[in-house]
Amino acid sequence: MDEAQLIKGIQEGDRKSFQILVETHQRMVVNTCLAIVHNKADAEDLAQDVFLEIFRTAENFRGDSKISTWLYRIATNRALNLIRNNKRKRFFQSIEDTFTGGRNRASEISENHGDQPDRNITDQQRSDMLHQAIDRLPEKQRIAFTLNKYEELPYQQIAEVMEISLSSVESLIHRAKKNLQEQLLDCYKKKCV
Amino acid sequence: MVSYIKSNKMKTKCIDKDLIFYLDNELSVEKRTAVEKHLEECADCRSFLAFLKDGMQLIEHEKNPEASPFFYTRLSARLDQKTQQRTQSQWVRLVQPAFFSLMLVAGIFGGLKIGSNASSPKVYQQTKSSVQMLNDFATEPIESFLLDEL
Repeated sequence: MDEAQLIKGIQEGDRKSFQILVETHQRMVVNTCLAIVHNKADAEDLAQDVFLEIFRTAENFRGDSKISTWLYRIATNRALNLIRNNKRKRFFQSIEDTFTGGRNRASEISENHGDQPDRNITDQQRSDMLHQAIDRLPEKQRIAFTLNKYEELPYQQIAEVMEISLSSVESLIHRAKKNLQEQLLDCYKKKCV
Repeated sequence: MVSYIKSNKMKTKCIDKDLIFYLDNELSVEKRTAVEKHLEECADCRSFLAFLKDGMQLIEHEKNPEASPFFYTRLSARLDQKTQQRTQSQWVRLVQPAFFSLMLVAGIFGGLKIGSNASSPKVYQQTKSSVQMLNDFATEPIESFLLDEL
């Protein structure tokens, strides 16, 4: 079944077509979300939201781009929204903590470390360090870098996903790498791992 | 596991700003040769390159996580739930305006009914007598009436 038939099926509410779409792209969507949010449970929830949105809005898909481009676009937007919401929550939590003395926070500490219990501490520290460095990148640089590094997308497809020019993608990825290197150098000098 | 040589301060001439591009094979031939030559001489840069390489390799390890076997089952259940909710909300969307319209019509009808009763001769008489009584208060204040009683 080609992409056009698949989309037509989904537009008509055919569950079988939807299942094929999900099974074909599930790994890709989860991986994209995971690269941005760094938490497997959140990434899977986000991926589910992405597919639900696809099912709900399939009739708006005009077929100008590939399904994968559409999926990447929704996945990155949703992942960024989650991060923004989490930041907002943390901000209000920090305000609450100043009044309550942080009594309610004990259960939430190290919540992201439960994904891979078999990894040793140094691996986990290095992974955290890398994630923090990626998270500190400006949003557009982060998306371009993530799609390029984690998904190995060519610059042209990144440009389509982000709806920007090819030269902008090149510039974003170049700056992202420079920023990342600066942060890792800083970490290396401070012997943080 | 790479052991990092963390020695003296980085030299000012270190090429640490190009190393990530060196790792990704994005340097020109000339620059690449210069970097390789520098790396032979500079232990600090070699150490940082190893650190950087290890960091970037983590991305390779994190790629392609195992697919959850119950992903579609969960998704399908959520889809069913959403469809059910949508059907219910459609029902509510139809019934709610109908109910409020009915209430509005009943209110208007009730108001008209009360209004039509108000203009009947019987009610007119009652209103007239009560207005007259009120007018009497102006000519004969209640204070004087009470004083007369005493």
